[in-house]
Amino acid sequence: MSASDQIDLPKGMAGGASTRRILFNHLAILVCWVGLWEIGSRAGVIDPLFFPRPSDILVGFWRLYITQGNIWFHLGLTMAEVVAGFVAGSALGIGLAFVVGLSDTVRRFLKPYVVVIEATPRIAIGPIVIAAFGFGWTSKIVIVMLVCFFAPFVNTLNGIINVDRDQLDMFRSMRATRVQTFRKLILPEATPEIMAGLRLAMASALGGALVAEFIASNNGVGKLISTYTGNLNMASAFVCVLTLSAVGFFILRGMEWIDRWLVFWTDRERTEAVGRKRAQRWQKGGKL
Amino acid sequence: MTSKAFFVELGKHLAVFAALILLWEGASILGFIDTILVPQPSEIWKGIVDLYFTRGIIYWHFGITLYEAAAGFAIGAGLGILLATGSALNDNFARYVAPYATLLNVTPGLALTPIVIAWFGFGYGSKIALGAITCFFPVFVNTLIGLTRMDPDTSEMFRAMGASRRQLFWKLQLPAALPMIFAGFKISVTTALVGAIVAEFSQGTAGIGVLMQRFAFQLNGGAAIASLLSMSLLGLILFFIIEIIDDRIVFWRRDARMTAVSRQKRAAWARMRT
Repeated sequence: MSASDQIDLPKGMAGGASTRRILFNHLAILVCWVGLWEIGSRAGVIDPLFFPRPSDILVGFWRLYITQGNIWFHLGLTMAEVVAGFVAGSALGIGLAFVVGLSDTVRRFLKPYVVVIEATPRIAIGPIVIAAFGFGWTSKIVIVMLVCFFAPFVNTLNGIINVDRDQLDMFRSMRATRVQTFRKLILPEATPEIMAGLRLAMASALGGALVAEFIASNNGVGKLISTYTGNLNMASAFVCVLTLSAVGFFILRGMEWIDRWLVFWTDRERTEAVGRKRAQRWQKGGKL
Repeated sequence: MTSKAFFVELGKHLAVFAALILLWEGASILGFIDTILVPQPSEIWKGIVDLYFTRGIIYWHFGITLYEAAAGFAIGAGLGILLATGSALNDNFARYVAPYATLLNVTPGLALTPIVIAWFGFGYGSKIALGAITCFFPVFVNTLIGLTRMDPDTSEMFRAMGASRRQLFWKLQLPAALPMIFAGFKISVTTALVGAIVAEFSQGTAGIGVLMQRFAFQLNGGAAIASLLSMSLLGLILFFIIEIIDDRIVFWRRDARMTAVSRQKRAAWARMRT
């Protein structure tokens, strides 16, 4: 298990006792950078044609968001593609993994294909899908779907495989039905792994939609970026990229939040909170 | 597993594979599958034969994409390790690098494709740069976590023995971090490939990405899938190279390698004593 999809850096790097002073230092450094960049650009050391000035980027924000307001439409379209593709792809991936994963034989015969598919750059299928589904946004949704399919699929399979043998035996010796085994053992055991898969999928979904738009499209943030860059209007392209950074940040945070909420038992504090709530409900005589 | 059982297993796998292919081919011929959408296996096979043997044009493009991905990986991973090591050794450095690293992480690296192409031109440079950008973060974060998550007991022991800062780093932090670093490498080597290929989709004159896009837009599905499979092959090659290096360097994680290396070391030690 790797940690590459997490955005929080290890403890000790975040603020401590003097958080306010550190924040001030951060801001000071940022201001210095931006100032140096601006001055360098005005003095002609940095070519503003390729590396837009911070002030130009600010003006670009104003223009794209307020005066022209054209980014809203493109951003909305791209996000619609991402969400639709993500939901369809991950639902398909998880569902299919449960269907095939519960059988030992199917799983064994599936493994070589999974290895090959894991090594394939998923986005690479883009041109084929576009050739098949056209330049509209069906093709983008299909591409995002394909990009989002494999991580949840593979992780769900792994989650099912890694269910503790002893616990399975225990369930069997207690004569649990298949449905009970699935609901009470396999599903909860696999959930952390599935969530990790969903996080990976969500992280790549945005990239998938953008690449699809780069290859061929009329609308969307990806198209906006490539058009602006083609016109050498770098400041506006940077505005789009920074917007995507913000979107990416909120997506990752959101996924983390859902993860914490759903998989409460990996975090001690959350486990205790949920346990307390359930105990209360139980004492009141409700059902568990 | 004995060798006979292995061959039986292999035979079963091949039988399943053949059955799937036949089913697919049959369905395509009978018209259940749209052959423009999903080319039939015989078309793909024709594409493979054409690309690899008849015209043999794939090798050149294969080599170029391999070069781009490998160079991008080397640069991105190198930078990642450098910055992560700096961050692990110096708290102040870490504090001021962290926000920018996070910013780079939340930005979809592929979104920078057109900008990178404007910066580095239509040649190999832009593909390498995009590969480097996409593979920086996994290596950075894995190295950082590997280096900072020390076993408290062992580091206590090092301190009690009066180990210097340098000894602590080389003898404890780095070896303990290596498995994690290699896990990062394994992720980022594929993302470097993705970066190179996506840059080729956008602008390029050579490389598997260019080849594949060309075939796809010619509606030559067989050849396009053949190029896609070549990309899988490329991904597998890169992955296994890392895997082999991993096996060599982090020898203590696998029992067989561990025994081999310790036998070597014992022999060397015995020679030294005589």
